[in-house]
Amino acid sequence: AKEEKTGLLASSASDKKVVLLPCRNPPSHERVQLWLEARKQYDSLQKERREP
Amino acid sequence: MTTLTRQDLNFGQVVADILCEFLEVAIHLILYVREVYPSGIFQKRKKYNIPVQMSCHPELNQYIQDTLHCVKPLIEKNDAEKVVVVIMDKEHHPVERFVFEISQPPLLSISSDTLLSHVEQLLRAFILKISVCDAVLNNNPPGCSFTVLVHTRDAATRNMEKVQVIKDFPWIVADEQEVHMKEPRLIPLKSMTSDIVKVS
Repeated sequence: AKEEKTGLLASSASDKKVVLLPCRNPPSHERVQLWLEARKQYDSLQKERREP
Repeated sequence: MTTLTRQDLNFGQVVADILCEFLEVAIHLILYVREVYPSGIFQKRKKYNIPVQMSCHPELNQYIQDTLHCVKPLIEKNDAEKVVVVIMDKEHHPVERFVFEISQPPLLSISSDTLLSHVEQLLRAFILKISVCDAVLNNNPPGCSFTVLVHTRDAATRNMEKVQVIKDFPWIVADEQEVHMKEPRLIPLKSMTSDIVKVS
């Protein structure tokens, strides 16, 4: 009976609701902004090369 | 005409694939509409036969994909109760939440002929609602970031352990301050019920 009780407790504990989130953060706004500016510069350089 | 049942081998996978694809589009669109990232990183694409804004930033796209790869096994087993996109301010306090409540009907009798077109119609309506949600929401403070929360059961977390290791994308239990908002105001955007999934 004790084992049964322990089993029930374990199953109710494992059935507990949890909220999870990723440990890592997404890229920051600043990092993305820098990437965007670099890409714009690269694109304009490429355009200049094609149409001098 | 083929009828699928929950017992069919690939049923959970089909639902998870459809939902994860939808969540991916929804997350990109939320980040665009709520101006979490500069609009210049978004490009117009066609999904569900309508134009949507999707990011072209490789690191952000990979982050969203990794997140959903980890969530997929939970959806497959019907263990993800809610998937929540949380917009957070500079101090990491939630300022806005987009809550996707997911439930699958216990009994299924669906025709594969009509399934995809019907689900596509419903998801399209959902995406359209998200794309105009800024009209009913207040502006967020500058410098916001985002995260994705998954409401599940402790026992179900085993289902996502393998993919966390493969993707090197670990998950942790959220703190109270990451889950709860001060004085929340609920704005229902859209609710859909299809033969395979209910999202609201």
